[in-house]
Amino acid sequence: MTTSTSAPVTAPAKTAVAARTRGLRKEYGSTVAVDRVDLEVPEGAVLGMLGPNGSGKTTTIRMLLGLVRPTQGEIELLGRPLPDGAEQSLPHVGALVEGPGFHPFLSGRENLVRCAAFEPLLPRKEIKQAVEDAIERVGLAQAAHRRYRGYSLGMKQRLGLAAALLVPRKLVVLDEPTNGLDPAGTREIRRIIADLHAAGSTVVVSSHLLSEVEATCTHVAVLHRGTVVAQGELTELLQAGGSALQVITPDVEKALSALRQAKISARPLGDGLRVELAGTSAPQVIETLVKGEARVFEATRWKTGLEELFARLTEAEEAERGMSAVDTLDGGRR
Amino acid sequence: MITRQLGSEVRWMLRRPRTLIGLFGLVLVPIVISFGIWTAGEDGGGGPGLSAIIQGNGLVVPIFTLFLSLNLLLPLVASIWAADGLAGEAQHGTLRGLLVAPVSRVRLLFVKLFGLAAMSLFAVTLMAVVGIIAGTAFLGSDGMATLSGTTLSTGEGLVRIALFVVLVTFQMVSVGAVALAVSATTEHPLVVQAATMVTIIVFQVLGQFSSLDWLHPFLITTGFPGLVDVMRDPIPWDQIGDSTLLAGCYLLIGTGLAAIRLVTKDS
Ligand SMILES: Nc1ncnc2c1ncn2[C@@H]1O[C@H](COP(=O)(O)OP(=O)(O)OP(=O)(O)O)[C@@H](O)[C@H]1O
Ligand SMILES: [Mg+2]
Repeated sequence: MTTSTSAPVTAPAKTAVAARTRGLRKEYGSTVAVDRVDLEVPEGAVLGMLGPNGSGKTTTIRMLLGLVRPTQGEIELLGRPLPDGAEQSLPHVGALVEGPGFHPFLSGRENLVRCAAFEPLLPRKEIKQAVEDAIERVGLAQAAHRRYRGYSLGMKQRLGLAAALLVPRKLVVLDEPTNGLDPAGTREIRRIIADLHAAGSTVVVSSHLLSEVEATCTHVAVLHRGTVVAQGELTELLQAGGSALQVITPDVEKALSALRQAKISARPLGDGLRVELAGTSAPQVIETLVKGEARVFEATRWKTGLEELFARLTEAEEAERGMSAVDTLDGGRR
Repeated sequence: MITRQLGSEVRWMLRRPRTLIGLFGLVLVPIVISFGIWTAGEDGGGGPGLSAIIQGNGLVVPIFTLFLSLNLLLPLVASIWAADGLAGEAQHGTLRGLLVAPVSRVRLLFVKLFGLAAMSLFAVTLMAVVGIIAGTAFLGSDGMATLSGTTLSTGEGLVRIALFVVLVTFQMVSVGAVALAVSATTEHPLVVQAATMVTIIVFQVLGQFSSLDWLHPFLITTGFPGLVDVMRDPIPWDQIGDSTLLAGCYLLIGTGLAAIRLVTKDS
C-alpha cells in the first residue's frame, strides 16, 4: 500500500487490518458505554456493525476516529496508533458520524467547500472539482445551491455522505447512513458502498437494517450492551449459527421428553419444535423422536438469516430465561 | 494549508447572517453619536471630558465611539464570535467534521483565535472609519483636540486613531479568548455569550467599589478607561501599558484553558 504521506512508516501493520481495537472501554461518568471491545476491520472488508439502540456502535466509531478518548484500550487506525498517528491516518478516512453536521445558513455546496478546505489531501485547485464530483456522486446536484437549512432529512444525509467521499479514502466509516433515506436512496448507498468495496476501500457501516447489512457486507460485528458478542465473515457466522431443525409434530410433550433424555436442546415453536443441532445431527434427532413415539410430519433445516442470528445474539438472556422452563438440556441436568 | 484554513474560517464568519447584522449594528454607533452631537447643538456641551471637546472635532468621534463600545458592545460581539467558533460548531455537529478531517485540536484553536482576531480588527477598523467619515461630515474636522488642551494635525490625529484601534482590538480579542475557553466546554453558544457578558458586567460593578480596590488591578474592565490616554499630548504610556499587559494575561490564560479543554474534549 503506497500512501502519499511523506512521513516514514514507523510500524507496518502485521496483518492487513484497516482498523483494530484492543480492550476498548469508555465510561461516561458512571455509565459504561463500551467495554472490552476487540474489533478487527480487515482491509478491503465491508464491515457491518450491528447492535440494538445504545449498544455502543456510535461510541466505538467515535473512538475509532479519535473523536472520543477511550477510558482504556488501544486503537490502531490504518496501521498507526491513535491519537498520536491521527494526523497521518485520518486524512485517508472519510466519516459520517451520528448524522450529518453542517451550517444551516450555507448552501450544500458552500458547506462542502468549507469541509474541503480542511482536507489535507486535497490540493487547493482541485477543491472545486472534488466538491462537484461528490455532489454528483450522492445525487444532490439539484439541491446543491440551496441552503442546508431547507434540506430534507435524506438530502442532509446525502450531503454528509458527500463530505465523507470528498477525497478517495482508504477507510470510510458510516454511522447509520441510510437513516432517513427513501428506498432509492438506500439503494444508492448500497451502490456507493459496493463501488468503494470494488475500488479497494475498507468500509465500516453501522445499521439497523439487517437486510441491508446482509446484502452489502462481507463482515459483521455484533455489539450488545457495549461489547462485541460476535464478529467475523458474514457467511461463516451464518453457517455457524445455522444448525437448527424445525420439526412439525402434534406430540410436542412426548418429543420434548424424548429429546430431553437424549440431552438435545429444543423448545416448542409453532406447530412443533425447534431443535438445536449443536452437538448432534439431524438424523440423530429424527431417530430420537421416532423412538420416543413422537409422530414427525415434517423436519426442515433451519436456515439462519442475519435477522435470526442477530436476535439470538442480542436477546440471548431473554431467550434463555424463556427457554429454561422447557429447555431439555437444563431440565435434564436438574 | 494553514492559510487556506484561516481564509476559510474568516469567509465562513463573514457569511454568517449574525455577523453581518452585528457589523451593521456596530457601524450605526458612530453615525448615531455624530448625529446626536450635531443635533444637540452648541448648547449641549459644556461639561469637562470627552464629550465636551467633541464639538467641532469630527476626529474624536471614532475614539469616543470605540471607547463607549468597549464597555459592552465589543465584548458582546467578541463573545458571539467565540461562542459560534467552538460551541456553535459543536452544536451543529460540524466540529466533528473538522476534527476527523483532521485538523489537530491545537491548530483548530489557533484557527479560531485567528478568525476572532481578524474579525475584531475588521469590526473595530470599520467602526473607526465610519466614525471618521460621520464625524467629519456632521461635526467637521480641524485636526484633533486632545484632552491635554492641545490640537493635533489631522495626520497625527489619524495615527492616534489607528493606535486606539489596535489597542481596543487587543482588549476585544482578550475578552474573546476567555470566551473561547468557555466555548470549548459547552455545546450551547448562548451559555458562552451569557457567561462572558455577566462576567464583564460583574467586573464593572466590582470596579465601582473602592473597598475592593485590591481586586481592581486584576479586572480586565479596569483597564478600559485608561486607553483613552491616546488622546493626551504627549501620550502617557503607563496606563496604556498596564491595560495592554493585563489584557495580554487574559489572552494567555483564556487560550491556555481553551487548549487544555479542547485537547481532552470528547466530541
Ligand atoms: N456523551 C455521552 N454521555 C453519556 N452517555 C453516553 C454518551 N454517549 C453515549 N452514551 C451512552 O453510551 C451507550 C452507547 O451509546 P451509543 O450511542 O454508542 O449507542 P449506539 O449503539 O450508537 O445506539 P443507536 O443504535 O441508538 O445509535 C448508551 O448507553 C448511551 O447512553
Ligand atoms: Mg448510534
